[in-house]
Amino acid sequence: MAEYALELTNLSRHFYLKNGAFKEPTLLKAVDGISLRIRPGETLGLVGESGCGKSTLAKMILGLLEPTDGDVLINDKMRGASSRLSMSRQLQPIFQDPYSSLNPRKTIEQIIRLPLQLHKMGDANSQQKAVKDISDLVGLPERLLTNYPGQLSGGQRQRVAIARALILKPNILVCDEPTSALDVSVQAQILNLLMDLKKELGLTYLFISHNLGVVEHLVDRVAVMYRGKIVEQGTREDIFQNAQHPYTQALLSSVLTPEPALGLPEVLDSSAWNQAS
Amino acid sequence: MKRILEVKNLQVSLPTPNGDLRAVRGIDLHVNKGEMLCIVGESGCGKSMTSMALMGLLPKRAEVIAEAMYFDGMDLLSLSKKERNQVRGMRMSMIFQEPMTSLNPSYTLGNQLCEGIIKHKKVSKDEAKKRAVYLLERAGVPYPEKRLDQYPHQLSGGLRQRVMIAMALMCEPDLIIADEPTTALDVTIQAQILRLIRELQQEFGTAVIFITHDLGVVARIADRVAVMYAGQVVETASAKDLFADPQHPYTKGLLNCIPIPGKTLPGSHLESIPGVVPSLIGELKGCAFENRCSVSIGECCYRSPRLENHLGSEAHQVRCPIATASFQEAV
Repeated sequence: MAEYALELTNLSRHFYLKNGAFKEPTLLKAVDGISLRIRPGETLGLVGESGCGKSTLAKMILGLLEPTDGDVLINDKMRGASSRLSMSRQLQPIFQDPYSSLNPRKTIEQIIRLPLQLHKMGDANSQQKAVKDISDLVGLPERLLTNYPGQLSGGQRQRVAIARALILKPNILVCDEPTSALDVSVQAQILNLLMDLKKELGLTYLFISHNLGVVEHLVDRVAVMYRGKIVEQGTREDIFQNAQHPYTQALLSSVLTPEPALGLPEVLDSSAWNQAS
Repeated sequence: MKRILEVKNLQVSLPTPNGDLRAVRGIDLHVNKGEMLCIVGESGCGKSMTSMALMGLLPKRAEVIAEAMYFDGMDLLSLSKKERNQVRGMRMSMIFQEPMTSLNPSYTLGNQLCEGIIKHKKVSKDEAKKRAVYLLERAGVPYPEKRLDQYPHQLSGGLRQRVMIAMALMCEPDLIIADEPTTALDVTIQAQILRLIRELQQEFGTAVIFITHDLGVVARIADRVAVMYAGQVVETASAKDLFADPQHPYTKGLLNCIPIPGKTLPGSHLESIPGVVPSLIGELKGCAFENRCSVSIGECCYRSPRLENHLGSEAHQVRCPIATASFQEAV
């Protein structure tokens, strides 16, 4: 077994923003030298505000975007060294918005089955059976398989996305804000499902979220990202009970839990963490 | 306390090819002067429809019926279009969810900020600008004079929402309806904007109807809360009572769904509400929450519950006979 399920070494992605025909373009370091390691069976939470580079990082891990610098290692093998198909058998995404990440013109069965067809795994009968088994596993009623995504609720669609991701039996899932488009009652169902699947299948998660309550509930380790860099990482206890970086502290104090007695948090001065980073 | 807004039995329905979608099914609401009322509920529960109906912003094909809809003694439903326009913008204003789409990209911020006050209050351009600069400054926008000549795309999301708040305050309204004003913002910015809304509300004595799906936000800013489900108010109470002593099974379920750092055991199985929201097309038989409820009994299927006082107090009302009955037994 590989020592690390996912390893990022000094990963960077820079963009050039055009400023008109005659001006120098501005350099934007969306992801700036990030190194991370996730052990098999571990859940790493990646938190940070919008525009900090979380999704750019996820795209590079998934191979949807070429890094400017640095490497992505999946199960100790370089991404790019082996074919895209074999990589996608080890690592699969779950996206934020189940309303736009499913093809509206395909039935649920076709959506879940497509990866098997692309990978030419099994014949029609065994593929059909695999789709049924996986729908069972994620709690998707069999009668919905002939429906189209438009006929499903948000929670059911996210279950379809999870089924599609799991049908190739990958060992790593990259979840980019998987519950932020869902209502809280449904969010709890999906979080429970992700936790059950992890226990059952021994999955490794990279869990990207801005909801710290959810992150605290789900993850083993946390990495805090700010302006393209990891400003702090540690175990869940390290981060949630003993955060060192002022930006992490500010994030934690901004979490609004349903406790009316606490009132609104103090507004912190952002210069504190701008200097520190 | 004086009531600035009083609504009785508000109903909104929209025609669809499959029949009338009854988005709001008989809501009673009131807002006191200078009070923060939070309306909380999941998507599709009718909270935005309620706010649009109050503002009179629904399209013509939507049918709005109410027994009464009084704003500061005026019957909003009997006003002419012109009179309604006078109320909207001048005495009632709105902050929308997406500062990206609610500001016009082709006009300067100054233009948009001053438009309302010049039209409604007949002030000069200079006076309007002065007020805009003052309010931008109060809303925490740096370099307020410079902003008047800028366009929305030149500002970040947080700044745009601050401009929206300043805009809502331009005519010194008596009531502001804020529809998910912080949902599109980052958590650190959200805390700042909530604090700003709370401070300005207290300073100007404006009543606010704050619509959100986030119980964490509700807990921290509300004076009173109305929980909505399937187009109805299922529970209403002061924020303190609601969170300390929730009565309706839906409110309880919602509160149990949320993992709270330091309280919920990490990795433990979260409680969730099984099933999905019923379709709002046509009549609902019995209690709308019956199919997802853990304490429902036979009669819930056919008897529609009414909003009843909890512990004989009008301040805390629940739409669930079982919650009320079991409490009486316990006492």
